[in-house]
Amino acid sequence: MTDVRVLLGTMRTAVVEAWSNRRSFWVQASAMILNDAAWVAFWALFFHKIGQVRGWRSDQVMLMFAILATVTGISMGLLSNARKLGQLVADGQLDTVLTLPVDPLAYLLVRRVDTALLGDLAFGPLLFAVAAHPTPQRTALYVLGALTGSAVFVSFVVMLGSVTMVAGGRGEQADLGFQALLILASYPLDVFGGLTKLMMFTVIPAAFLTGVPVHLVDHFSWATLAAMLGVAVGSMLLAGVVFRAGLRRYRSGALWTRA
Amino acid sequence: MPAVEVDGLGKVFRGGGPRRRPVEAVRDITFVVEPGERVAYIGPNGAGKSTSIKMLTGILHPTRGSARVLGLTPWTQRRELARRIGVLFGQRSQLWFELPPRQSFALLGRIYGLDRRTTAARVEELGALLDSGDLFDVPVRSLSLGQRMRCELVATMLHAPQVLFLDEPTIGMDLVAKQRFRELVVWLNRERQTTVFLTSHDVSDVEQVARRVIVINGGTIIYDDRVAAMRRSVLSTKLIEVRFEEPPAGGSLDFDGLRVLRESGTEYKLVVDTRRRSIRDVLDTLLDTERVADISVVDPPLEDVIARIYGAQP
Amino acid sequence: MTGGVWGPSGAGTFRGAPVSAAAGGHTVSPYAAAFAAAAGRVLRRPGELAVRLLFYTVILVVFAALWSAAAAATGGHVAGYSAAALLWYVTVAEAAVVATKPRLIEDIGVDIGTGAVATEMLRPVSVLWLRLASELGEAAVRLAMALAIGTAFTWAVGGAPPARAGALLALPSAVLAVAANLAAQHAFAGAAFWLSDAKATWFLYQKLVFLLGGMLLPLQLFPAWLERVAWVLPFWTMAYAPARLTAGSPPQPWLLAAQAAWLVVLAGAAAVVFAAGERHLEVAGG
Repeated sequence: MTDVRVLLGTMRTAVVEAWSNRRSFWVQASAMILNDAAWVAFWALFFHKIGQVRGWRSDQVMLMFAILATVTGISMGLLSNARKLGQLVADGQLDTVLTLPVDPLAYLLVRRVDTALLGDLAFGPLLFAVAAHPTPQRTALYVLGALTGSAVFVSFVVMLGSVTMVAGGRGEQADLGFQALLILASYPLDVFGGLTKLMMFTVIPAAFLTGVPVHLVDHFSWATLAAMLGVAVGSMLLAGVVFRAGLRRYRSGALWTRA
Repeated sequence: MPAVEVDGLGKVFRGGGPRRRPVEAVRDITFVVEPGERVAYIGPNGAGKSTSIKMLTGILHPTRGSARVLGLTPWTQRRELARRIGVLFGQRSQLWFELPPRQSFALLGRIYGLDRRTTAARVEELGALLDSGDLFDVPVRSLSLGQRMRCELVATMLHAPQVLFLDEPTIGMDLVAKQRFRELVVWLNRERQTTVFLTSHDVSDVEQVARRVIVINGGTIIYDDRVAAMRRSVLSTKLIEVRFEEPPAGGSLDFDGLRVLRESGTEYKLVVDTRRRSIRDVLDTLLDTERVADISVVDPPLEDVIARIYGAQP
Repeated sequence: MTGGVWGPSGAGTFRGAPVSAAAGGHTVSPYAAAFAAAAGRVLRRPGELAVRLLFYTVILVVFAALWSAAAAATGGHVAGYSAAALLWYVTVAEAAVVATKPRLIEDIGVDIGTGAVATEMLRPVSVLWLRLASELGEAAVRLAMALAIGTAFTWAVGGAPPARAGALLALPSAVLAVAANLAAQHAFAGAAFWLSDAKATWFLYQKLVFLLGGMLLPLQLFPAWLERVAWVLPFWTMAYAPARLTAGSPPQPWLLAAQAAWLVVLAGAAAVVFAAGERHLEVAGG
């Protein structure tokens, strides 16, 4: 088990690296914040003329977006390598990591930070504070919801990316998967029909990114909390298993690496 | 205890090759490397060099045979071995691109379990040893490839590994940078007794770094000997570069065992087949019959030697 | 190592057709040749095309769900559009935007910055028009396929387009929309140069099209002041126009004329940007 301190140190170095090019940092983070503002504007306009949709009002949607931004900030900003796993394997970066005395998945995940997506990490909490009626309980649940949502997101893209270790390619399937996940999680859960909703609770777990956390914050219940935590932990364990299986195949040469 | 012991090691890639058929990248390699040696592991593209090194560093599992590095089995004891060896892949980086190398070193030190003071001390030592201290506080993005690779070498040596694996480390570097890098590797070997195991395409890496060369082709080892011996045993030719005071008379260079390779005015390049005629003989003849202004006897270029070896399929 | 924001130097990202395109003895206009070659290129990469279209379908499904729910919540009509009309609106608006390549501004920025454009300047044709012809070729294929899929899906789910006459005009309008989008992106690439960050520029541009272009929601949903702003800017020509023609009534053929006018302006702006870029390269070297 790689020392947690080593992992935190690695993440810290990655953040320092992102911060080192000050100009680029501000340009990218600001662009992201403007992007988020545009989406908030969209929802504001939408609900301006349309009072509520399937029980979702402007408030819930703002909460949803705040959670979404926080989740993407963590999953694509802090742990930016997660969705690039396929590329990293294809480029031989996995080999470089395997020569270090660290756990390869953990190290890869914290190794790089995406500046732009850090903008989300700033915007999310801000939006929550401004538009989602933060009380101590709601804030705690929001944080919990964002963390579990991120766990599900990262686990999902890691599993998809792990396929590269067995089947080759550059992780295009992971790209598709994560885009689908993100799109579905960006809209009020109840807008979707039965079949899509079922899919969002299973194969493409978008419901756990925003839908369920929103529900948790607005209508707290121990059952919902337990379910969310269960799904989060379960997906992390599953991702670990899948990654290790992929790694075994990779190391036993299912893939022709550039000799 | 040997540094590297390889016995009948083989690697088949299942159905992943260019035409989806199993590819036997490494067939049956056996060799032993003693501590402190400098070995070049060379071969043409696709010969199995990278695959071999990946097995020795624990990245790949072999399909047959065994190997031990510093007494450990690389693919089952990967992390333990990782603390004792250093691995440098050309074109790939351990350093954070936007940061000065010093910060990467600090983190890598922690990864290897070194305390801050030890890391800092080692960084200073290596900086002095490899004459690269002035590069450590400049962001990696501002360094040239040669400078960056020198810093990568420092990063690889921080934890004082006993064996250094280098996979095409000088690829992409300009001539001067390559030379510098090679000198540093030799220096490390001499000062720290670090065993050096280097794969390369570049013949000069062999000439300038290695004392021993192992040639792999088609997945098997076809040659394993000292570099010095390689020239002598494989090619029985020598080159004579001679400048005459005036162009030589018609038939004087026409004898058995001697061939004119190139001529321009008074400068000639001759090839001597030492199996047919001894160098001594040729020199005597030349000096007796012609007015020689300058003469030198050189070994054939290593490329020719190696090409000859590649050509000799098992 | 790499050159900062602009990525590795060397081969550019533009895969334009070679200039001399003599076809069967006749000399084809190089721009037409570039157009055709680009279209061929897209067709020869069915995997990429499929991904794009899949993406389009997912968005279509999501927005169909959203707008049907919205219409149901407001008694069947939103800003004058019925649920079915909204579906058609989204189908056409999305298709027009999805037809253009997502990384275009980034790619142009990279090519300008690395000087790959400089090699294109050696040819006896306009760098800009060749690029536009090529991009239009690619986009035309994507547009056609997206509209085909979208029309099939939406007709099945929501019935025929509400505005028959308008729908006929929607096809040329969609082409103009895509052309305007491409021209604008080439002009915006200049901004990328000044911001030193092509990705951020593209990101912001995309949001402008999404929002002020009416892709996400019809302009009629905007508060009055914002609607005025949207009309003054060119973005509505890139998504709103063809969508409105398909889904709204009465038909407004003058939209096409306005689109054409904006296209000229945007192409002019792009020409200015590229001329400046070429001058810069001539002076500063590639």
